[in-house]
Amino acid sequence: MIALEHLAKAFGKRREVQAVRDVSLVAPDGEITGLLGPNGAGKTTLLRMIATLVVPDAGRAEVDGQDVVADRYDVRRRIGVLSDARGLYPRLTARENVRYYGALHGLAGAPLERRIDALFDTLGLAGIADRRTAGFSQGEKMKVAIARALVHDPRTILLDEPTNGLDIMSVRMLRDELRTLRAQGRCLLFSSHVMQEVVALCDRIVVLSHGRVVAEGTAADLTAQAATTNLEDAFVALLGAEEGTIA
Amino acid sequence: MSSVQRTLAIVRKELVDTFRDRRTGTVTLLSSILAGPILLMLIFNLMASQAGRARDLTLPVQGAEHAPAVVAFLERQQVKVMPAPGDYEAAIRRGDLDVVLVVDDGFMHDVAGGRPGRVRLVYDRSRDRARASIDQAETLLAAYNRLWGEQRLMLRGVTASVANPLRIENADLATPQQSGALVLFLVAYYGLFAALMGGMAVALDTTAGERERQSLEPLLTTPARPLEIVVGKWLAVVAFDALVVVLTLTGFYLTLAFAPLPPVGVPFLFGSREFGRFLIVLVPMVLMLPALLLYIGSRAKAYREAQANVSVLLFVVSLIPLVQLFMQRKEPSWLMLVPVSAQYSLLNTSLRGEAPALAQLALSWLAPLVLIALALGAFARRLSRESILA
Repeated sequence: MIALEHLAKAFGKRREVQAVRDVSLVAPDGEITGLLGPNGAGKTTLLRMIATLVVPDAGRAEVDGQDVVADRYDVRRRIGVLSDARGLYPRLTARENVRYYGALHGLAGAPLERRIDALFDTLGLAGIADRRTAGFSQGEKMKVAIARALVHDPRTILLDEPTNGLDIMSVRMLRDELRTLRAQGRCLLFSSHVMQEVVALCDRIVVLSHGRVVAEGTAADLTAQAATTNLEDAFVALLGAEEGTIA
Repeated sequence: MSSVQRTLAIVRKELVDTFRDRRTGTVTLLSSILAGPILLMLIFNLMASQAGRARDLTLPVQGAEHAPAVVAFLERQQVKVMPAPGDYEAAIRRGDLDVVLVVDDGFMHDVAGGRPGRVRLVYDRSRDRARASIDQAETLLAAYNRLWGEQRLMLRGVTASVANPLRIENADLATPQQSGALVLFLVAYYGLFAALMGGMAVALDTTAGERERQSLEPLLTTPARPLEIVVGKWLAVVAFDALVVVLTLTGFYLTLAFAPLPPVGVPFLFGSREFGRFLIVLVPMVLMLPALLLYIGSRAKAYREAQANVSVLLFVVSLIPLVQLFMQRKEPSWLMLVPVSAQYSLLNTSLRGEAPALAQLALSWLAPLVLIALALGAFARRLSRESILA
């Protein structure tokens, strides 16, 4: 479970760029929570703070009760991160890429190999497990990156724009995989600027704009809140209310 | 899961990654193995041709008919005397001739009149490979001058020692290995250079390259601490760098031991003892240069940017030995505190066939140890800063 309270972060020499202003939300286990917002809304910064890569200026963020600043290494053991940057080592095979992260998480030997085999079977990577990733397609690279993020069996999973650059087949594969993870009772936090994706996948949607939560709830809640009949209009209305213009 | 295990996992991954990189591997390893032998071949052939010129001196003489006794003396000294071409000055400028002896037309007349006979040596001293011939011609003429004068004195019943109150005896304290300073310089220089180049591509690839490939951010979400990542990468680069240094020195060793090098009369030693001393002297460099390279690499977002930044280090490390080569003074004692300088000096000591003093070796470690700590600390701080994600 992820719990954020009044989280804020600014960048720049004089802290003039307010990436996240005031975000409070709870992402429960067994659900996919979607962070929806236009580019620059603060989605990546928010996920990086939960992933312990960026220290918040104000507020608190906890993963399963562990503070992302004070207990950052405990948090890192609990989370699997599929960040915006998901480069693999092209000279290593798919298996070696995942094995490296397993070793850094303290796994070794037969249990680690069994875990990799299981992940590769689920993701359909078994056939190319021992090939170098240099020649992989975007979809194959994505699958290896997912296996790498899940190798230590994390209970909480963060995904930053995971469908970027993927073809439709890979997107469907990813959705199926995320639903499987939800069924296993994990907590998933998923960011995207594509509305259809969030709607297709998420149990709850948090709309971000200019570093603030402007709306929260199921797709139906949001439509009702914006007094519109479809979600796209709702999205535009919600963002427009915040910005004074249409995003 | 201990820090040590995570660090070792990083070392292992970095080494596998490095050895799979065919471009870096081939270029670095080939250049290190081949450079030594090629360099030595070139130097030895240069020295052999210089020595050969001095041994069989060919001396074009103009006006040989005016001084038959001088020509006869030269020929007795195994000099091949031949008539000089008309345009000998131009030939010397072009480098076709090393030195030409011109006998004055009035030579016989002057000698008969009791005046010194005039001869002129024409040469271009700026030409390095002509130097041996020039020196030999000068020495031979001086020897003939002395011989002739002594004969004249004897005819007048005076012993030759009257005219030679000073007897000069030369005692050159250079051990046989000390001659051939150029070879010493190049071998020591190349040893240092191997320590610098050996780790360069790998260090930049694992820092700037990792950022460029977007694999750093995921790595930072694992439980690996910044210091573990830094030390792991450093040990991997050091291991590769050490391999390159050992291969380079092995190239020198094998070439000198087994290659059919021309005999040059300079018994230059690079045996197993020198090999060992080289390794000991170079240890601080093999530890320090990768640390500096990693820090420089970590400041860049892309491999090419890192390559541009690293040129400053390259410049400094390759310039220091050159400065020392041209500084002919005795080396000051604080030199051991200057990294690179100290190692270059100790490598030269080893090549002269002497063992580097333990106190000097210990001093030569000081600055590198401090720099390693600073560079790795700065690298770790960069990894824990948010700006590394940008």
